[in-house]
Amino acid sequence: MDMLIAKNLGVSAALPDGSVPVIQELNFSLPQGKVLGLVGESGAGKSMIGRTIAQLLPPGFSVTAGELMFDGQDLVRMPAETRRELLGREIAFIPQEPLSGLNPVLTIGRQIDEHLARLGIGNARARRDHALGMLNDVHLSHGADLLDKYPHQLSGGMCQRVLIAMAFASRPKLLVADEPTTALDVTIQARIVQLIAEMQERDGTSVVFITHDLRLAAQVCDNILVLYAGRPAEYGPARSVFAQPAHPYTRCLQLSNPAMSGPRRALYALPERMPGLSAIKGIEGCLFAPRCPKVVPECTRALPPFVDVADGQVAACIRPETTATIAAPALSASDAPQAGVPLLEVRGLTKTFRIGGGLFRNRAFTAVKDVSFTLHQNEFIGIVGESGSGKSTVARMLCGLERPTEGEFEIDGREVSDGSTSSRAHLRAHVQMVFQDPQSALNPRRRIASIVTQAMEAAGGTSGKERLERAEALLLEIGLPPDAARRFPTQLSGGQRQRVNIARALCVAPNILIADEIVSGLDVSVQAQLLNLLMQLRRKRGFSMLFISHDLSVVRYLCDRMLVMYRGEVVESGPTDRIFAAPSHPYTRTLLAAVPPDDPSAVWSPQPLETDVVAPADMLQEANV
Amino acid sequence: MIATVFPLVGRRLLSSVAILLIVSMLLFVVLHVLPVDPAAMSLPPTATLADIEAMRREMGLDQPLPNQYMIWLAKVIQGDFGASIHFRRGVLGLVADTLPATVELAVLAMMIASALGIVGGLVLFHVRGSRKEPVVDFGSIMLLSIPEFLWSLFFILIFGVALHWLPFTGRLDPDLRVPAGTGFLLFDALMAGRLDIFFSAARHMILPSFALGIAFSPTIMRVLRSSLIDVYQEDYIHLARLRGLSERRILLGHALKNAILPTLSLMGVQFGFLFGGTLLVEVIYSYPGLGNLMVDAVRNADLPIIQAVGLAYCAVVLIINTVVDSLYMVLNPKLRLR
Repeated sequence: MDMLIAKNLGVSAALPDGSVPVIQELNFSLPQGKVLGLVGESGAGKSMIGRTIAQLLPPGFSVTAGELMFDGQDLVRMPAETRRELLGREIAFIPQEPLSGLNPVLTIGRQIDEHLARLGIGNARARRDHALGMLNDVHLSHGADLLDKYPHQLSGGMCQRVLIAMAFASRPKLLVADEPTTALDVTIQARIVQLIAEMQERDGTSVVFITHDLRLAAQVCDNILVLYAGRPAEYGPARSVFAQPAHPYTRCLQLSNPAMSGPRRALYALPERMPGLSAIKGIEGCLFAPRCPKVVPECTRALPPFVDVADGQVAACIRPETTATIAAPALSASDAPQAGVPLLEVRGLTKTFRIGGGLFRNRAFTAVKDVSFTLHQNEFIGIVGESGSGKSTVARMLCGLERPTEGEFEIDGREVSDGSTSSRAHLRAHVQMVFQDPQSALNPRRRIASIVTQAMEAAGGTSGKERLERAEALLLEIGLPPDAARRFPTQLSGGQRQRVNIARALCVAPNILIADEIVSGLDVSVQAQLLNLLMQLRRKRGFSMLFISHDLSVVRYLCDRMLVMYRGEVVESGPTDRIFAAPSHPYTRTLLAAVPPDDPSAVWSPQPLETDVVAPADMLQEANV
Repeated sequence: MIATVFPLVGRRLLSSVAILLIVSMLLFVVLHVLPVDPAAMSLPPTATLADIEAMRREMGLDQPLPNQYMIWLAKVIQGDFGASIHFRRGVLGLVADTLPATVELAVLAMMIASALGIVGGLVLFHVRGSRKEPVVDFGSIMLLSIPEFLWSLFFILIFGVALHWLPFTGRLDPDLRVPAGTGFLLFDALMAGRLDIFFSAARHMILPSFALGIAFSPTIMRVLRSSLIDVYQEDYIHLARLRGLSERRILLGHALKNAILPTLSLMGVQFGFLFGGTLLVEVIYSYPGLGNLMVDAVRNADLPIIQAVGLAYCAVVLIINTVVDSLYMVLNPKLRLR
C-alpha cells in the first residue's frame, strides 16, 4: 500500500510581480516501509516538499495544483485541526540542525515528557519510564542523567538521537527527515543513518529522506527523486538513477562530486547556479537548459515531458540518451603535485586551554598536541578530522590568531611563533586565512573593492584608485565580473562571496593560504567551481595551502598530502593517495568507512565509533573547542 | 539553586562595596565644592563669626578634604551617618523611616510595569502582520512618549479631582495611624491585622504606582515583542509545530520562556530608572518617601541627608540588579555552572 502519494502537486509563491511556481508537476508514490530520497541543491524545493506535507508553508506560499495523499487522506484539503492531530503522531519529522531543534531552556526530559503527554500517556511516572525506554532504543546510555540535561550540554549527535527517539515515540506511519545528518561529522552521520534505518524497520515506517548528497541517497533510499528548481528532473529506483542517470542534471551532480575511490578525475563544474524564485519565470522551456551542457534549441521551446527511460525510471529531458556522454574534463598534467622547497615547518605545536570559570575549578584542556609537519611550495595539504579534533586550532595558531603553548613554526626559514611585531609582520606577508563562513567574514557595510584590498589599505601608501584597479584585477582572476567591486556582499550569492573571501586572502600575494572549511556550506556544483578555481590559481600564481575540511572526498581531490587529526593529535599523515588506498591507523579506517561508497551496490559498513555517545567530561571539552 | 547564584551574589557584593565607596567619595567632593557652609547653617542667625569658626573646628570642617572624608567614612562604618541640620534628627533614622515607603512604591510599580509589559508584548506580538497592528503599534508608541509625571498629573485630574475615586496625597487616610513595624505599610498593616489600614494604604498607592508602572511598561512590551519575533524564527519552534503542538502551547510553553530572558535583563536596567523616577512622583503625590526627603534636604542644603539618601538610592539599585541577574541565571540554563 502506498503511504504517501503526490499527484501532479504544485506549490506557488505570491511575489509582488505575480505568482511563481515553487514546486511543479510533482509525482511520486511512497509504498509503506520504503524510503524515498529527495535530492537536489539548495533552492531545488526539497525542503518545501517537507513543509507541504505538514502544510506549514511560509506566508504567501500555497498549494495550487494536484493533491498529496497520506494513508488515503488528502493532506492539503483536510481541516487544519485534523492535520495537526496527525503531526507528531502519524507523521514525524527529524530536522537538519539537531542542536537548534531542541528548546534551549527546557531539559531533555521536559521536552520528551511534553511530547509523550500529547501522545496521551497520562501518568508522569509512565511517561518517564517510556522516555527511558525510548532513549535506550536509540542507544543513548545514562538515560536517567540525560533527562535532566539541557540541549547545550549534549553533542549534536546526541541531540539528533533524542529527536529521533521523539519522532519514533508514536511509531509513526511516515517520517520526514530533512537533511538529518548534514550538520554532523561523517562517523556520526553514518551512525544516525543506521539508527533511522533500524527504527524504520522496527516500526515499518515510510521515510521521506531529504538530502543534497546523491551518494548518501543512493545508499539509504529505495527510490530517488532529483529536483531542479522545484520540478522533478528524474525519478526512479535509487540504484538505476545513480548508476545510469538519464537527466543531465543528475549526471552533472554526480560528476561535480569528488570520488572516494578510483583514479582522480577532474570535477565537472556546472556554470552559474540554480535559478532563484524570481528568475524561474524568465526561463523559456526546460529550467535546466541555461546550464545544460547538452542543450539544443528545442530545449527552450517547452517544459520537457517526463519520459520513461528504463524500468520505473523517468526523466524530464527530451534527449536522455545524450546524458551518458557528459564527461568531466581531464585533469591536466600540471595539476599533478610538484614538490618545491619547504615553506612552512611546524614542530611540536601544542595548545592548551584553561577552562572553567571559578577560582578552584580551573582545568587544562589540550586542544592540539605535538603537531609537526612541513608544507612545501605549491603543495596542498589537507587536514581532516571531526569537530573537536583540533584542526581549526592549528589553523588559528599558524595565522597568529592564537599563541602556541609549546612548539614553534618557521615560515620561509624564519621562526615566527615568538609573537614579536616583526614576526607578526613576516607572518602576515606570507600567510593569509580564508574563513569558513563568507556571510560573517565579509563586512556587510563595505563594498567588495574595499573588502578585497583591506590588506593594502592597512599597509598604507596606496591611493583609492590603485586599490580599485587591484580589486578589479583580483576579481577577474577569481572569476567575478570587475564591476562586482562596487557592490556590497549581500548583493552576491554564497559561492560568489566565498570567491571574494579568497580574493581578499590573495590580495597581498601570500605564499601560504590557510583555508578552514571553505566549501562546507556550499552546494556541490558551487563547490566544484571553487575547487577548480583553487587548482587553476595554483597553476597560474603558485601558492601552498593548508586545507582544513571534514569532507574526505574534497581532500582527496584537492590535496597532495593529508594529516588525519583525532582528539588534538595527528594520527596519520602522508600522501593522500596512499592514505586512501591503505589507511594504517584504525581511526583513519573508521573515517573512510563512514563515507558512503561511490558504488551504491557496494556494502556500506561504517564501523561503530562511540564519539556521539560521550561521557559528560568529554561533552564539556567538545563544547569548548 | 542557591549554589548556582552564590558565586554571582558574592562577586556582586564585593563590587557593590567598591561602587558605594566611589559614589560616596563623589558625593562628598561635590557637596563640599558647593558654596554652602554647614557650620553657619547649624547655628542661629545671631551667631558671631567666632562662633561659626568654633563650630567649623568642632565639625572638622577646617581639616583637608581627604581627612574629612576619612572621618565621615569611619563614622559611617560604625553606622553613624551624622545628624540632619534641618530636622535635628539622626540621618539614619530619617532614611530608615522613608526608604521602605519608596521601595514599596517602586516594587509595586515594577510589578505593574512588568504585568502591563508582558501582556502588552504578547498583544503586540499577536497582532503582528494583521490590520490591527498599526493601531496597537501607535498606542504603544504613545505610551512610550508619555513620562511618569504626566501620567501622575492625568491620574490626579481624572481619578482624584474629577471622579473622586481615589486619594492622591500621602500614604494613609489622615485619621489612621501608621502601625509600628518594618515601615513597609502593606506588610505591617497585615501583620497588625488592620485591614482598614491595609486598604487605605493600598488605595493611596494605586495612582502613584500606576503612573510609574505605565510609564515604564512600553519598553518592556516592545522588547518582549521583538524577542518573541526572533524566537519564532528558531528551529525548535518550527519543530514543535511539526510535532503537532497547539499554537497556544508553543507560545506559552516554548517561546515565552526564551523570549523572557532579554526582557528580564531590560527590566533590571529599567528598575534603576524607575527607582529614580519615584522622586518626581513622590513629590507630586506628597508621598512621604525618600524622594520627598531628598527634595527637602536639597532645599535646605542639608548635606548629611543628601549624602545618605544618595547612597541609599545607589544601594537599592545595586541590590535590585543583583537580584535580577541571579534570576536571569536561574532561568537561563546556559549560564548555570555546569
